[in-house]
Amino acid sequence: MKKTWLRDYIIKRLLYAIIIAWGILTVTFVLLRIGPTSPADKYLANLAARGQDAAQVIAAVEARYGLDQPIYAQYLNYIGNLVRGDWGWSFSTSMPVMELIQTHWIYSFQLILLSSIFAGIIGILIGIYSAVRQYSKTDYIATFFSFIGISIPNFWLGVMLILLFAVQFGLFKTYYDTSLPLFSLANLKQLILPVITLGTGMLAGYTRYTRSAMLDNLRKEFVRTARAKGLPERTVIGKHVFRNAILPLITIIMFDLGSIVFGGAYLTEIVFGIPGLGQISFNAIFADDYAVVVAVTLIAAFLILMINLVTDITYTYLDPRIRYD
Amino acid sequence: MTKRFGMRNLALIVLALMLGSTVLLDIFVIETVVEPLVYLYIALGGIFIIYVIPPLYASRRLVSYYWQRVKRNRLAVAGLGFILFLILLAIVGPFFTADPTAVSFEEKNIPPVGFTLKESIYELETGQFITRTATGYWQHPLGTDNKGRDLLAMIISGAGVSLQVGLLATGIALALGTLIGVVSAYLGGKTDNILMRFTDIMMTFPFFLLLVLIVFIFGANLAIIVLVIGLTGWTGTARLIRSETLSLRTRDFIMAARALGASDGRIVLTHLVPNVISLIIVIATLSIPGVIVAEAALSFIGLGDPAVTSWGMVLRAGQQTLDTAWWVAVAPGMMLFLTVLAFNFVGDGLRDAFDPRSSL
Repeated sequence: MKKTWLRDYIIKRLLYAIIIAWGILTVTFVLLRIGPTSPADKYLANLAARGQDAAQVIAAVEARYGLDQPIYAQYLNYIGNLVRGDWGWSFSTSMPVMELIQTHWIYSFQLILLSSIFAGIIGILIGIYSAVRQYSKTDYIATFFSFIGISIPNFWLGVMLILLFAVQFGLFKTYYDTSLPLFSLANLKQLILPVITLGTGMLAGYTRYTRSAMLDNLRKEFVRTARAKGLPERTVIGKHVFRNAILPLITIIMFDLGSIVFGGAYLTEIVFGIPGLGQISFNAIFADDYAVVVAVTLIAAFLILMINLVTDITYTYLDPRIRYD
Repeated sequence: MTKRFGMRNLALIVLALMLGSTVLLDIFVIETVVEPLVYLYIALGGIFIIYVIPPLYASRRLVSYYWQRVKRNRLAVAGLGFILFLILLAIVGPFFTADPTAVSFEEKNIPPVGFTLKESIYELETGQFITRTATGYWQHPLGTDNKGRDLLAMIISGAGVSLQVGLLATGIALALGTLIGVVSAYLGGKTDNILMRFTDIMMTFPFFLLLVLIVFIFGANLAIIVLVIGLTGWTGTARLIRSETLSLRTRDFIMAARALGASDGRIVLTHLVPNVISLIIVIATLSIPGVIVAEAALSFIGLGDPAVTSWGMVLRAGQQTLDTAWWVAVAPGMMLFLTVLAFNFVGDGLRDAFDPRSSL
């Protein structure tokens, strides 16, 4: 019985995700079209600066971008190309955008992954401790620091960490060294400051979410029952309270990934000069390289879409209370 | 009641006339272009006066009761004090400080008062590098940057920018979010479905990356940044207001209003909106810091309005001179941090005060 409605639900969610993906593409297309300067204008300025004949360049660019076609054809082309994996040409780096992204995504990925692990483990542990010992001194200190962690702008934190640990104490290099192999201790060491920079806000958030989710469940009847029947406190907290708190927590953490983490990673990469997707988008902005800026935004949006989809489905699968039929 | 609704309509018409006349004035009479931000001030100020002040005034005993509750939270009061100080600083400060853009190469890299710094400079006459100690003095209380610009003046200018962006963009986002949330919940059905799917699409974009994309496309200008943050930041508000309205919709007083023959517009404007105002105020206070940080981040990556000195821009300049003038990076970020902290404290205090379950 469960299997059928779950399968229907997954199909429904998939269709829904496709509609949202189409919406995302449409929104970007509209944005690009109503912008005061078209990608072609910027490309044109770039080529004209190299001393090429303007009329020729205009014709070539219009043909290249399909701007001589009617608007619906442009729209279909735009979506068709993106779906087929042709994400355009990055003229500032002279390579296809897809290739550029393939060489740089790993730097963003390692940063986000390490920060999430760092923030997730420590944040959840502090949150649990804080909730179990509510109104203790540790709880107050944790609450206070999580407030600070949420309020501190992460790019400033990054700059301050560089100032303190790299410039003053000389413990780290001020810039990310790409020549180091990805899986090496030296690389891990130079990621310490960026991970703290990106992780602090997440850590503070997770501490707060965990604390409140744990507190919500600690007050429930079944916890009293579990304690009354003489279960050790460790089992009560670990099995009865935490297991119930973890599901909403995961949803919030996943939601964070979209709204906070991707933006934070973008800025962290720029502060530390890590050549991830944020950095290439940043460079592309100053080179007026439209295709790259759009691609990075789209990739982040699609990732969030996929993460949301997976979270939703896992959530439904794991929590027997949820049924959508 | 009829009279108040009449007043409200009148106020709306006056607001529209004011906006219209400003536009006409702008186009036909004066040569100098009115700052686009002025329109936003007029529109948002008008909405504030029409929709926020009357309900608060009508229930002023409740307001003073909530104020008593907020007052018990010391951090919230301190935060409020800091915000008021910042507003004062942004308004009055520019009259007392130097031009934040005035460059002076004789006075570059002066440390803040109380700090001394050893620096090696190249002397033209002898052609040698000599070591000199620079000491901060009161003409530049916070020191100067590597172009000799007064840091205090830049900080004060930045305070104005941050507050403007924070208040205006939040105002737009809240007005839009409330409208979409209330309409969606109240009308339900197909409208609700379409509006919420659109909200989902907007929510799937990572806020900051979308911001970067749009500012990149439309150009960096304070009015555009405000508009873009306002037009993209309404999604969370819309969701919250929608769920709040859904629970209000079935309450007796709404039923009664409908039974008395009130129109949909009237129910939404005079019964639903005033009842979600406490929620709106909390969302406003808690979303202002995000907006301020977003603007600072945009300026930090070089997408800010180049015509104004904002904290993010100073911080960006400061990062490049970390080894020679560390204070340039410390000061704007510290102000940003304190501002965000203050708004968060106030927001939390307000939320607790409005929460009937919390024992204050």
